[in-house]
Amino acid sequence: MAKVQVLNVAVLDNPSPFGNPFQFEITFECMEDLPEDLEWKIIYVGSAESEEYDQVLDSVLVGPVPAGRHMFVFQADAPNTGLIPESDAVGVTVVLITCTYRGQEFIRIGYYVNNEYTDPELRENPPLKPDYTQLQRNILASNPRVTRFHINWEGLADKMEDCENVDPSPNVSGMLPPSCIPGKMPPLGLMPDNSMDFM
Amino acid sequence: MKLLKPSWVSHNGKPIFSVDIHPDGTKFATGGQGEDSGKVMIWNMAPVLREEDEKNENIPKMLCQMDNHLACVNCVRWSNNGLYLASGGDDKLVMVWKRAAFIGPSTVFGSSSKLANVEQWRCVTILRNHTGDVMDVAWSPHDVWLASCSVDNTIVIWNARKFPEMVMCLRGHTGLVKGLTWDPVGKYIASQADDHSLKVWRTVDWQMEANITKPFSECGGTTHVLRLSWSPDGQYLVSAHAMNNSGPTAQIVERDGWKTNMDFVGHRKAVTVVKFNPKIFKKKQKNGSSPKPSCPYCCCAVGSKDRSLSVWLTSLKRPLVVIHDLFDKSIMDISWTLTGLGMLVCSMDGTVAYLDFSLDELGDPLNEEEKNSIHQNIYGKSLAITSTEAQLSTTIIENPEMLKYQQERQNSAQANSGPGSAGPESSAPKLNSVMNGESLEDIRKNLLKKQVETRTADGRRRITPLCIAQLDTGDFSPALFNSAPILPSGSSMSNQLSSQLSSDSSPGPASSLGLRPSHDPMLTSPPPNSAVKGLEDNKDGVKPCLLLTSASKIEPMKALDSRFTERSKATPGVTAAISSIAGLTPLDRPKDGISALKDVKSKEDTSSDSEDKMAAINKNLSFSKRKPDLLMDGGEVVEKRKKGRPRKDKMAAPITQPFTQITPPAEREPSRVAAPPAAAVAALKLPTPSLKKAFSLQVSMEPSVFLEVENEVTVVAGSRLSQLRCSRDGRDWNTLLPSSVVTAAGSSDVLAVACQDRMLSVFSSCGRRLLPAIQLATPVSALHCSAHFVMVLTAGATLSVWDVQKQKALVKNESLLTILSGTDITVSQSLLTQQGVPVIGLSNGKSYCFSSSLETWTLIADNGDSLVQCADFRSCLPTQDAPVSSGPLAVMQGRNLNAGRLASRLSSTPHHLQQGMTLAFLENQQAAALTLQSAQEYRYWLLIYARFLVNEGSEYRLRELCKELLGPVHKSAATAWEPTTLGLRKRELLREVLPVIGENLRFQRLFTEYQDQLELLRNK
Repeated sequence: MAKVQVLNVAVLDNPSPFGNPFQFEITFECMEDLPEDLEWKIIYVGSAESEEYDQVLDSVLVGPVPAGRHMFVFQADAPNTGLIPESDAVGVTVVLITCTYRGQEFIRIGYYVNNEYTDPELRENPPLKPDYTQLQRNILASNPRVTRFHINWEGLADKMEDCENVDPSPNVSGMLPPSCIPGKMPPLGLMPDNSMDFM
Repeated sequence: MKLLKPSWVSHNGKPIFSVDIHPDGTKFATGGQGEDSGKVMIWNMAPVLREEDEKNENIPKMLCQMDNHLACVNCVRWSNNGLYLASGGDDKLVMVWKRAAFIGPSTVFGSSSKLANVEQWRCVTILRNHTGDVMDVAWSPHDVWLASCSVDNTIVIWNARKFPEMVMCLRGHTGLVKGLTWDPVGKYIASQADDHSLKVWRTVDWQMEANITKPFSECGGTTHVLRLSWSPDGQYLVSAHAMNNSGPTAQIVERDGWKTNMDFVGHRKAVTVVKFNPKIFKKKQKNGSSPKPSCPYCCCAVGSKDRSLSVWLTSLKRPLVVIHDLFDKSIMDISWTLTGLGMLVCSMDGTVAYLDFSLDELGDPLNEEEKNSIHQNIYGKSLAITSTEAQLSTTIIENPEMLKYQQERQNSAQANSGPGSAGPESSAPKLNSVMNGESLEDIRKNLLKKQVETRTADGRRRITPLCIAQLDTGDFSPALFNSAPILPSGSSMSNQLSSQLSSDSSPGPASSLGLRPSHDPMLTSPPPNSAVKGLEDNKDGVKPCLLLTSASKIEPMKALDSRFTERSKATPGVTAAISSIAGLTPLDRPKDGISALKDVKSKEDTSSDSEDKMAAINKNLSFSKRKPDLLMDGGEVVEKRKKGRPRKDKMAAPITQPFTQITPPAEREPSRVAAPPAAAVAALKLPTPSLKKAFSLQVSMEPSVFLEVENEVTVVAGSRLSQLRCSRDGRDWNTLLPSSVVTAAGSSDVLAVACQDRMLSVFSSCGRRLLPAIQLATPVSALHCSAHFVMVLTAGATLSVWDVQKQKALVKNESLLTILSGTDITVSQSLLTQQGVPVIGLSNGKSYCFSSSLETWTLIADNGDSLVQCADFRSCLPTQDAPVSSGPLAVMQGRNLNAGRLASRLSSTPHHLQQGMTLAFLENQQAAALTLQSAQEYRYWLLIYARFLVNEGSEYRLRELCKELLGPVHKSAATAWEPTTLGLRKRELLREVLPVIGENLRFQRLFTEYQDQLELLRNK
């Protein structure tokens, strides 16, 4: 049973120019004192076509986490434009927030992001080479997609015990579904239906 | 009878395995299968009961859902007090849920459903022991235990006051255990399993009382559950699936001899669940007919795999009602409301039905008092303690004062349980809570700027999250239970611990104290920087074993973890060191003392803490010519211990007392002191401390006062002088004495030293001699100072106490022979309270104090007292007040005064006997606290006493208590009534006692009477 529940993510500074840092205000609740830090990551999906272009914008440790409700703002720099395929610069893509505990991802929050020119002129006739200074980033904050995974919250000492408590279906026994290796994320539409909730 | 199937109660069509109505009747829980997990849901009862509420969209139907169980939930049960919900499921776990008070409603982030969790219930503990699916859980009467049974063939009894502690695992079934029920009196628990047996277990020793197999021999293991039930009068136990003449029945088992002569017949398939109505009924009195006495009877509902439900009255031969085709699948669980008129039934088909009966149909329910009197008649044990809540609803409140009080109580209870009650106004999330005067909105605006961000060693960003709400994990908080002793407050912890040393003169204190830090590292808080430095500088390899700062600053800092482990590694070394030098040093030193302490003996050592001290003493020892003696002494300590002299663990363990001082090393080692030459003198009954070249001690924390003694420091004209040096808050003074100092003691006000020539000198804290030297008849065995009192215990077993301020003797050469009767008894502990009351603890576990007003020895504690073991006042312990664990009484009795731990096992003891023992014990405690002049303890025990009287319904004694506290309303010259006791104003005490009395409406007249008089007096 998950010791950390994400209660809310507020997208700050949205919409904003493409070059602005991402800011997410994350509220979560923890059932008991966590001996280790949580690790949060923001992953920017450069191209819907391929995971190759995923960029981890930043990762941050959050701690100490005593039992209770907490919040923090996770700010990460805008993606490196050099790593984004030019054809994918404008349009809809995805930004992901993941959280891992003891190296295991237990929640993944995805948002659609729409990058478009504000200038109607440019919108009509976009330049061949994207002009990032003119791009506006709009995160679809009202529609987060949350996937949760069962993980082993206990330390190694308890590992055996905890394994017993996990439903003994073969794909769960490894604790991590194959899809949650950080950075290797299939496009949103193909997300595992593990415990997916749609808004 | 009315019947309703609320279609909105569903787990999206998935089976519902269990249902339970909250004791207050406002909500109910269901358990069953969720989407890919087990599911527990909590529902509002109002929309079930009233159609208008069902239609009103502002009234929430679902209050909370919990998907935390990994697999199907087989059973949900509310505790009798309604505070907890226990759930057990196929994931082998039992989870205990509690309502989170401080957190308002919220939705599940990212969830599709708009259904907000109106109430927040969170798992406070997970009970893991079963190796198979948990099928049933049951709370014992009074919520002392929680039982769970499983397909692993076992039943586990959990300590419900100390989760996740396991009391017992009952083994004996050879098949899947599928149902549990407690005897309403708490003497037995019964279980039914697939092994064709129903077993009854005693709660006294957890052994099997009866094994009933005959009615089940034909049964096949075909039902999912076998929920059996015990009648509210305790006389009958009714099983689930049994067979009689190859027809399915519910077997009635009589308590008397466990006879199986009757059964409920008629269901066409196996009975899955039986549930007794919690009420006992009597025949409805018809208007006009003459009231004739009728036998009370019980009511029982039976659900079966044949999808039908039958309701029986034990006074009728045929069922009251049988309902067929209520569900599409087997009935899984039944729950009655506490009023006895409503019933919820759930089924494997995923639906729930509500049945509403009228008084005409069932009869007149007996009220709690009548039910209790039935219990008392049969079992001699009243269940009055449990019934106060229920009584509240039925008793009429007679006056506005009482009403006001009751309302205040309710309000405060509501405030405690948070804003998210089921009302419509609270269903909107309240995020505008205020912290430190700053609203959450303000905080959010600046969060990015304000939040603490650091870099880890490997250069990674690390954010410290802002805690916006603390989780109340209530009394099940793991922190509470893992760290053994709970200190009342952080304020005087260092005092307490140091003084603990002083009062401790048992042979083995060093080891137990030395080991303590490893037991409860939680008690130590992050050391201040200076101290850290000291720790790291430490080159002697001896770690200071106790380093205490204020407890309120405990933070979960990672850096501390390693410190804890380091320390626990070092502990054995410390222990060894201490025992080899026979406990010469005060073990701990508070941080504020560090700077003040300048140990002249170890000049080359720069570090400051107690290891410093030890180093110094080690040096003393090695330089000392009497080294062989000391070694021998050390050896003797060991030997003594081996002899198995009772170790005063109780006293050595977490005792706190802010009223005596760090001792001279001497009196901590009476055993070894017996060795020195003095032993030859037969008249000396008590051991004396041996002479040392030098020693030092801290005598007070606030202000911090250190004493250093150096004997034979100079030789002037042939006479050898000894030096006494004192450092108080960094200011030093010293004085010279003509004879070697044997022992010294001090308080913040006075210092006393006893010399080899049997002279006792007393100085003020600034070094001024207050009294001329006092000549003692025999050498000093123990010396204590407290406030302005000095206590001397001489080797000749006499006790003296002087009030230095008044220059008067309080106790004059009083012989200890009275209490030292018997050959082996020795003084194991002595102390002096702040009020100047001397207390002597003996090796036989008894403690005495000398009452100067009565001029006699009075017994204040006896570890072997059977009353202590049997008194059961757990239900009366105050919830808010931390236990008074720092008073002299607590010190002498030991912390492990475990509130009648044994008593719960003695439920077979006749109730009146237990009541008597508890009363006697509580009165003893008050009397002892009075004699010790320990005001806080007196108040503490007085309140427990009052609460106990209220619970047990002892009006006579209560009235006497109130009368004594109130005193005469009109003053007259003849009244001998003292308005205060131990400095506590009696009427203030009464003001504290009255709300306790007001909790039981039975005493509302008493409450009103004294409330009025108090008001009257106040207005005068």
